[in-house]
Amino acid sequence: MRILVCIDDTDNMESKGTGELAEMIAEHIETSNWGKTTRITRHQLLVHPDIPYTSHNSSMCFEADIDTSYLRVLIDFAADFLVRESAPESDPGLCVAVIDQIDDVDTLIKYGHRAKQDVMTKKEAYNMAERLGIHLSEHGGTGQGVIGALAGVGLRLSGNDGRFKGKHKINGINDIVTAGEILSQTDIDAVRCLDGNDLDYNDKVRLNDWVKSVLLEGKCVLIVSPTENDPDGVKWQMCPKKILKSLG
Amino acid sequence: MWKVNERGEKVFRGGKEDGAGAAQAADKCPNFKLDVEDEIVADELRSCYNCRYRRWTAESFACYKPE
Repeated sequence: MRILVCIDDTDNMESKGTGELAEMIAEHIETSNWGKTTRITRHQLLVHPDIPYTSHNSSMCFEADIDTSYLRVLIDFAADFLVRESAPESDPGLCVAVIDQIDDVDTLIKYGHRAKQDVMTKKEAYNMAERLGIHLSEHGGTGQGVIGALAGVGLRLSGNDGRFKGKHKINGINDIVTAGEILSQTDIDAVRCLDGNDLDYNDKVRLNDWVKSVLLEGKCVLIVSPTENDPDGVKWQMCPKKILKSLG
Repeated sequence: MWKVNERGEKVFRGGKEDGAGAAQAADKCPNFKLDVEDEIVADELRSCYNCRYRRWTAESFACYKPE
């Protein structure tokens, strides 16, 4: 069965980040042979004075394909893990959704989008999770992280939110590769410019040390922007970080 | 470059789009600490925008480790 696992509000300014904890949970799923996991996405939620986030209010989500028999043990492990590993003054939340058993996907996606715009309540999150048949639990502090954990699942399901954790490693001669080489060397699904068009296989791209992708149309997409006066005539380069931020 | 808000927090006056100002402020700051890779948003790595001790607000960020 395919599931989505999302955690939120696990850190403080000195502790491991929420992304690192999500990565550790995913690694445990793999090493325990419970199933296979996919890349983690980071989902930005509302930044507002009434929301008690640590520094950026984002949640971290990944998909896993597991044997049905491991669902309960996975949830129990993740819950214990959050109690053990979250920062003392954090308010961690855990959401685990079985994708094919979500009663109303559109409602969950709308909830995710609302969490980017409105201040939400825990009660609303729990009501929504119960109605849609999704596991939602809190593991310390005020448990406020359940809101972001549920929203993160909705946003991941939307297929059009967030940036992928980690950087892609690509080998290129003098840091120049074709779009086709990027696709063949990585799990990136498309190399796309800001106007929404995908590059052709032979289009050349100048790399840097910051090859990050975003979730668009359910795909892992590398966004590129035009170069200016490239010495080798390469037309495309990695998108500036601040544009990536605006996309995910 | 900074102002104090109603909560007593030190808030960056440049908002979220003053990359040069945020880099300049971080350059002078002994408490700067690069955040985890997931949260890096400014091309200039040594920037308050990339600092572990910034807390984003609707318009800008507050510094939680002032000098």
